[in-house]
Amino acid sequence: MSARRPPHSVGPGAIAITGLGTFTGAHIAERLLSQDPPPRIVGLDLRLPRRLEGRVRFHRVDLTEPTADSLVAEILEKERCEAVLHAGFFTDPYADLEYAHELEVVGSLHVMNAAAAAGVRKLVVTSTAQVYGPHADNPNFLSEDHPLRPQRDAHALRDRAEVEGLLRIFAQRHRALVVTSLRPSWIIGPSYESLVTRRFEHARVVTLLGYDPLLQFLHEVDWLAAVELALERDAPGAFNLAGEGVLPLSTLLRLAGKRSLPLPHPLLYRVAYLDSIARTGDPPAAFYDHLRFLWVVDTRRARDELGFEPVYTTQEAWMSFVVSRKLRGYR
Amino acid sequence: MSEAKPPGANGRIPPDALAELRASVRALRGELERRFGIPDTNVPAAAEAAAEALDEDDVFAPDDEIDIERPESPVGWLEGLAQRVREQLQDVDVVKLYEALRERVSIPGAGDVSAEVDEYGLDDRYLARTRRWLDWLFDRWWRVEVSGIELIPDSPRVLFVANSAGILPWDALMVAHAVERFHPSKRRPRPLVADWLATLPFSQSRLARMGAVRACAENAERLLSDNQWVIAFPEGQKGALKPFRERYRLQRFARGGFVPLAARLNAAIVPVAVVGAEEVYPILFEPRVLRRLVGVPVPITPTFPLLGPLGIIPLPSRWRIRFGEPIWFDDVPPERATDPLYVNRTRERVRGAIQALLEEELPRRRSIFS
Repeated sequence: MSARRPPHSVGPGAIAITGLGTFTGAHIAERLLSQDPPPRIVGLDLRLPRRLEGRVRFHRVDLTEPTADSLVAEILEKERCEAVLHAGFFTDPYADLEYAHELEVVGSLHVMNAAAAAGVRKLVVTSTAQVYGPHADNPNFLSEDHPLRPQRDAHALRDRAEVEGLLRIFAQRHRALVVTSLRPSWIIGPSYESLVTRRFEHARVVTLLGYDPLLQFLHEVDWLAAVELALERDAPGAFNLAGEGVLPLSTLLRLAGKRSLPLPHPLLYRVAYLDSIARTGDPPAAFYDHLRFLWVVDTRRARDELGFEPVYTTQEAWMSFVVSRKLRGYR
Repeated sequence: MSEAKPPGANGRIPPDALAELRASVRALRGELERRFGIPDTNVPAAAEAAAEALDEDDVFAPDDEIDIERPESPVGWLEGLAQRVREQLQDVDVVKLYEALRERVSIPGAGDVSAEVDEYGLDDRYLARTRRWLDWLFDRWWRVEVSGIELIPDSPRVLFVANSAGILPWDALMVAHAVERFHPSKRRPRPLVADWLATLPFSQSRLARMGAVRACAENAERLLSDNQWVIAFPEGQKGALKPFRERYRLQRFARGGFVPLAARLNAAIVPVAVVGAEEVYPILFEPRVLRRLVGVPVPITPTFPLLGPLGIIPLPSRWRIRFGEPIWFDDVPPERATDPLYVNRTRERVRGAIQALLEEELPRRRSIFS
């Protein structure tokens, strides 16, 4: 990693991470701190992860507050921040839709405005490839220019798509700023926990009867490497990230020695409706449509313009996840 | 046995070892008779033959010299048979036999698939297994007659444009199969299949494993840019669902997006006429109400949905696949490739070429089954 990086690109300024407590925020802080020499890290979140105590300059900021933008701008200016990594998003759909909207959409807007006001040079936002939405009429490979069409009922993904829309307008208004948005496919790995990994953890995985879509995975290590790369290099725009190769769901389950429980989707979508609303705020279709239709992304742009080469293929990322969960069973 | 001397340089067993062997064979024979009271049956006979063979100079006699004689008693004969079967079985690789058996009885869709697919979902192992069935459909069910295969250029990008019919993409599979089987390059073109099949449960995953891709501009462009051969059916759903009385009358070619695509990527367009495919499901009518209700087209044929799943069996009409002269875009400047008038003219030219091939092929058959 460090050998590839031009030494001047990070510069003397600090790197601010909003959402320091998230998987991405905390791990990127760790990775940056292990560089030589380590850059100054400014963390913004509701609370500081214990393992980063004393190693980062922490500011308690609630992005849902109405005046969060001026507070963040003040911090960014005072700490002479050069780049901002905005990772303050929920990993999973959050059942409190109003709060989720406030944090993800309005919070992102606050961060964008603060970054522009403080004269930050670069803004990197962690988005997701799920914003394209799984649809029957998706092409086999979704490019970054494809319209974002999250499902109508998937509130969490609609919020993320709204952030992408705001980000595009923001990038057009502030051309001097390098605005990068990273759209990873499903992240998977030994330590990453999400709704997706929990659905695939069981020995029997619920699938939809008659559907066997091609899936892609991105290993957590590759994801962190991509975020680090986006902070190092100036690559404006959106980038799809995924491991090499695609595999049908049935093959993935076979490789893992898992069995599938195929259910007809009209039944599943009705039976699991209330449970799903209570847990994630979204109907079952918000997740299970991903096991029904194609949403494979084209990663050529990330390779050509960002220089991102994933280490793990889709199959290796999946196997790494499977093996780690199997080991966990022998505690 | 450890002190038994190895055979001499001339291949003979030393006389003392021979005597020892002969004695032990006799002792064994005596033991056998004493225990089971077996008279002179094949086992001792073989042993005796072996013992006698040892007397000969040529110790390493071929097997047929120690051939088992058929004894008179039925019990002995049965035992002889068992012995023969056992000997035969020793040469048979049981694992190989099992594999062959498995391959013969396997149905496409059930059972093993490979652990890797290409980026569009094509599964080589699955394809290899289904090829047997495709061959059967090709040779026996539809008795496909292929002509004009030599007209297909050996260029990296070829776009086949065919008339479409039949609700399920049998014609797409057969055209792909014909090219793979008869063209010297052995390349398998990828069929672009209708949108609604992409949502149809059970069919989509199988089609993807066999190399079919959803028909849309992005997929066609990516495939052609990757130097793949592609089969397009520009009539689209209108063609696949046209009623029986309109068979072999080409419908409008959608918006003709394939023309600027081929011109820009410099792909040769090969017109293909498929005769016979339009009769496999004689559609009487396709009620729009049902399509709105179910979400996918529900055509009414004489057998579907009357006979239920049996109605899906396609009619065994006789097929003719005819490839036409390729249309090249070498000398077309890029700005003309997007000129709507030029695109429309070329689209009609391709359509005319396919219609002409159809008109030529249609009178050559006496009935749809011959």
